Amino acid sequence: MRGLFTSITKIRRQVFTEVARYAFERDLDNSDFNFFYESSYRIIPGEVATYRDSVFKERAIIRERIRLAMGLPIRPADTHQPLTKGMAESATADKLLEMPLINVIPFACEACATDHFQVSDNCRKCLAHPCTGVCPVGAVSIGKTASVIDQDKCIKCGRCKEACPYQAISRIGRPCAEACGAKAIGSDALGRAKIDQDKCVSCGLCIVACPFAAIADKSEIFQLVTAIRTGQTVFAAIAPSFVGQFGPLATPGKVVAGIKALGITRVIEVGWGADIGSLHEAEEFLRDVPDEKPFLGTSCCPSWAMFARKEQPGLANCIAQSHTPMVAAAQRIKQEHPDARVVFIGPCVSKKMEALEDEVRPYVDYVITYEELMGLFAARQIELNELKEAPLMDYASRDGRNYAVAGGVAQAVVNVIQETAPGREVPVMKADTLHECRKMLALAKAGKVNGYLLEGMACPGGCVGGPGTLSQISRASKSVAAFAQASSYRTASDNPLDQEVLPIAPG
Amino acid sequence: MANIIVEVCSGTHCVMLGAMNIIDSVHSLDEIRHDMDQCCEVEVRAVPCMGLCKGGAQGPFVRVDGLLIKGGESDSVMAAIMDRCAQSQDT
Repeated sequence: MRGLFTSITKIRRQVFTEVARYAFERDLDNSDFNFFYESSYRIIPGEVATYRDSVFKERAIIRERIRLAMGLPIRPADTHQPLTKGMAESATADKLLEMPLINVIPFACEACATDHFQVSDNCRKCLAHPCTGVCPVGAVSIGKTASVIDQDKCIKCGRCKEACPYQAISRIGRPCAEACGAKAIGSDALGRAKIDQDKCVSCGLCIVACPFAAIADKSEIFQLVTAIRTGQTVFAAIAPSFVGQFGPLATPGKVVAGIKALGITRVIEVGWGADIGSLHEAEEFLRDVPDEKPFLGTSCCPSWAMFARKEQPGLANCIAQSHTPMVAAAQRIKQEHPDARVVFIGPCVSKKMEALEDEVRPYVDYVITYEELMGLFAARQIELNELKEAPLMDYASRDGRNYAVAGGVAQAVVNVIQETAPGREVPVMKADTLHECRKMLALAKAGKVNGYLLEGMACPGGCVGGPGTLSQISRASKSVAAFAQASSYRTASDNPLDQEVLPIAPG
Repeated sequence: MANIIVEVCSGTHCVMLGAMNIIDSVHSLDEIRHDMDQCCEVEVRAVPCMGLCKGGAQGPFVRVDGLLIKGGESDSVMAAIMDRCAQSQDT
């Protein structure tokens, strides 16, 4: 459903807006949170079900989504717990989030059948029945009215599907499991999707893949707003993919102005941190490849980096040691403004996981997505188009801004390597989605990418394809390219970097 | 050749409820209309907040040649455009 606006997108955004609205409007000294009982009726009005078989179930699911959006765990379905349990404690400016970040709401899950081949009523039970003849394990036979596949024998080679002249055989599986490159989705006792937290790397693609809206991640919007409302200084570090995400009229300057209208003091570009990352990775590459490490993998996508380390522990040292751009940018802010809170705004669920790591916690206070930010704008009724553009300064180079699209990271690093060591050839291999990353890692294990720079991205098309985005990938990529071209620095080495922590829009 | 103007409200409320996806779906019609030999041109305009959400109505708000669609979705907007195209072919 990526790129399409469905009822699921609508519900998700309505929940963010409800939570944001209450975060901004509640009495800070006296909150009872009963507001959220009413939220489920505002989002699902009336007595007749709109989306599912029962209006009560629809509201029950909304209530769990609200808890997740508050940063709280979902409740077990078999014991009594009030909706508001834990909410008083969640009304804090401190970090509240705990794993698991990505949650299946079990009673929203429709327990789709797992991956298998299936014969449809397109089958004519034809004379030739090539499906049986091509099966290497004798799993296909001709039944009373149609071909029958013995699921116990089937090895999922797909030959029967290819051979059928009526397209009567299809492969069908769970959209969540298919989106999961880490193969982390299994089943609970009732056949519903269950995430294996040891395998999950929090890329969040299952969230946008589930057609029944049964998967959601936790949010930190409530804690962010609490920080703003209790008078704390909050800096926003915004990822390079932000341009084009908030509507055709929302220029980068207007988006920045909108963020400041929420009460955030300054906005800086994470692309600046990307430039730092490019310099580090180029240095590491020139120093270690091929003598110390056969190849170097980029490190800016935490899901890819974590996946690579889990999938091929023996090659873990070949993933660059540098921090992600988010961390580099946040460290810089905290150095100069130790008391400020930092919110990272991006397309990414995986950065929420990264921000929970012990080394990262001191720097990044909250991580929210563009979609969640849109919820904040909507709750505050901020019309981006009516705001005066915040003046943008060059904070990131063209290459740093291009981190947002697949291929951009490797190109940025290669450009620095070639400036530092003219004539040095750098073969590059890149993969987007963890399915592709898995293949790339297999080649790496087999020694086929020695001397290479590997770029891994968990999301299709790179960060512009992240689960927290609002814009279609192709349009977002164009906006990113235009914004990148507008920088007066070409590569990371052109960027003077020592600029005072000045925002892309001065405070 | 008929020229159909589609104005899509691009205020915060409407973008949050899918205005960008409506614009995408209007663009996606170009190919279909070409295949159907419909010769009308469709021009999409992203317009600032129409102010209609302030009265409590639900967006996205879209005007197809002046005809207002409230709570617009890709399908209703595409259907309205295809209708207009067909009308202009007939006349």
